[in-house]
Amino acid sequence: MDLLLLILTVPFAFGVIMFLMPLHFKFLQTFHILLSVIVSSLLLCAVSKVVNKEVLSLFHDFIFLDSMGAIFLSLIAITGLLANVYATTYMKWELEGGHISLREVKNYFALSFIFTWTMSLSVLCNNIAFMWAAIEATTLASVFLVSVHNDKKSTESGYKYIVLCSIGLAFALYATILLYSAANGKIDGEAMLYTNLLANAASLDPMALKLVFIFALIGFGTKAGLAPTHTWLPDVHAEGPAPTSALLSGVLLKCAMLGLIRYYAVVANGVGFDFVETIMAVSGTLTLFVSAFFLIRQHNVKRMFAYHSIAHMGVIAFGLGVGGAIGLFAALFHCAAHSFTKALAFCSTGNIARIYGTKDMTKMGSMIRIAPLTAVLFGIAICSLVGVPGFAIFVSEFLIFKAAAIDGKYILMGIFAVALAIIFIADFSHFFLASFGKVEGKVEHNGEMKLSENLPLIALAVLIVSFGVWQFDSFTFLLDQSVKTILKQ
Amino acid sequence: MATINLIDIIAVLMMGTSFAVFSLRQYRHSVLAYALQTLLLVAIFLALYDKYDSHELLVWSVTAFIIKVVCVPLYLLRLIKKLGVVVEDEPVGGFFISPVVALSFSLAVAMMFYKVFIHFSIFKDVLPLFAASFIFMMGIFGFILRTSFLKQILSYCLFENGIHLSLALMAYTSHELVEVGILTDAVFAVIIMSILAKRFYASYGSLNTSKAVNLRG
Repeated sequence: MDLLLLILTVPFAFGVIMFLMPLHFKFLQTFHILLSVIVSSLLLCAVSKVVNKEVLSLFHDFIFLDSMGAIFLSLIAITGLLANVYATTYMKWELEGGHISLREVKNYFALSFIFTWTMSLSVLCNNIAFMWAAIEATTLASVFLVSVHNDKKSTESGYKYIVLCSIGLAFALYATILLYSAANGKIDGEAMLYTNLLANAASLDPMALKLVFIFALIGFGTKAGLAPTHTWLPDVHAEGPAPTSALLSGVLLKCAMLGLIRYYAVVANGVGFDFVETIMAVSGTLTLFVSAFFLIRQHNVKRMFAYHSIAHMGVIAFGLGVGGAIGLFAALFHCAAHSFTKALAFCSTGNIARIYGTKDMTKMGSMIRIAPLTAVLFGIAICSLVGVPGFAIFVSEFLIFKAAAIDGKYILMGIFAVALAIIFIADFSHFFLASFGKVEGKVEHNGEMKLSENLPLIALAVLIVSFGVWQFDSFTFLLDQSVKTILKQ
Repeated sequence: MATINLIDIIAVLMMGTSFAVFSLRQYRHSVLAYALQTLLLVAIFLALYDKYDSHELLVWSVTAFIIKVVCVPLYLLRLIKKLGVVVEDEPVGGFFISPVVALSFSLAVAMMFYKVFIHFSIFKDVLPLFAASFIFMMGIFGFILRTSFLKQILSYCLFENGIHLSLALMAYTSHELVEVGILTDAVFAVIIMSILAKRFYASYGSLNTSKAVNLRG
């Protein structure tokens, strides 16, 4: 059976199977981990084929996997697996605390496979309209992963999530329709296929492409959390369970960004790179400063990380704005670096919430004594988020500086440096508040989590440090190929 | 010639019904106006099929009739009955101001958009292209100006109708799975929003979304 066909069917089938499973937590926990491993293995198998220069396509190129898709598919596989494994531990605590019923846990596990399925579909679609439908489906599949409880806050976050993302994505659909109608009859082959559009971008109407990119930026930018349409993100990421926030921030935002990058490639090759780079630089700058402003004021640990997600989507946009081979390489690398980092950050908030019973950092303190491993993991996430050398995010941020310096974009360098400095100061002050000093509130769980419970977090921390100090040839190959595709070299 | 006039007449009627969906205070009437608008959408598909012999639009009209004229309105009427709500709360700017604002801004934006769209559209019918942009914008303004959760679901349905009409005029030759994907998303979106509306009503005792102010900062 074709590997892509398996990827398109297995996660969905696992979701349905999980819905039908008996209400027994130990069984559900083991089964969830087992099925997650199978799904991730399938995804990584497809990625390895792309690394080995195999061309994967299905249904007359309706579905395909290119090097850029392979980068994002590997994020779904790795970050998705670790967040899903952590979810079994997190849900056990929620169940023990009486915050959730066993049926809700089962539904959560089942929906997480449907969510993985929609994200994989969005990455694999060559047909741009179907890619839009898949990205919209990611919202629909994840609403009840966010809105798990029936209380006011949970309902409000679910409401804001679906309403704001649906409005935003409607503009992206208009971009899709306009791009198709601008290309239909003017290019060889099916005008809805991304590969055809990219190959024939130069023959498309420049004015139409400019409008298409603005619509796509509003649409996919809303879903990716770019300012000023980011307002849903802090509420949703802060209110959902920790593993959901890890999945949303670590993987989902990147899937929306992939949609935008595909439009970036087509439009850049149609009207020239200056146009898309200018727009992305403005969008990235706005996003960085808006998030930095809100980040300083945050004392809720999850909201703080949510604003971080916005900031780092701003960094990716900024990388696309700086442009050139190095800027694009940095932007794509940042997608992976931020994915691992943010998954670790949000998963560590799950541990922290268990220790203190609150998300308010002013009521925390002395974490280094209560749960040293969690404090270290939290510290690794913070260090990577602010771009400390030796951690993954430093690599991409350094490369953005390098790309700007090579092109003589010194104003952009200055803007980027100021934004990162604000984020650096805000983050470390928050980290010290939670990790050191006296406990200002109460401690509900006085002790470290079990090593087995912390394993997914440790794996993420290892990935963050590895990507910070090591160059993985296969991953670099995918990045290089993707940059060449965008630049049509 | 008669067919061309018919398409234009239906397009104008669709614009009128979008104003009705937005403005009517009784939920039931709003849903019925939406059902009528979708029936007109089906009629425009059939008229375009007749005019241009585009077989795809015949299939689209059948699926749109079953899903959007019958299933979605019935589902929403059932939701209204279940919640026991009749009239929406006063929206932003009041019952009179908000339709006027939505109408004028939607007309202005549609005037801008249709001139671009007609340049690339497969069918060069001016009024339907104008109507598609207008209905889309009425839906967007519905989200911004109406605070009732149910009215926002209907606003979603409105802008989805606007997109559906645009798709028929500008991209009906695309792969048949595209329409299936977009329609499936729309149906699931309505179902999920309805479940959230029920939860919202249970939590807040009202469908007024301006009361949702627990998450800020």
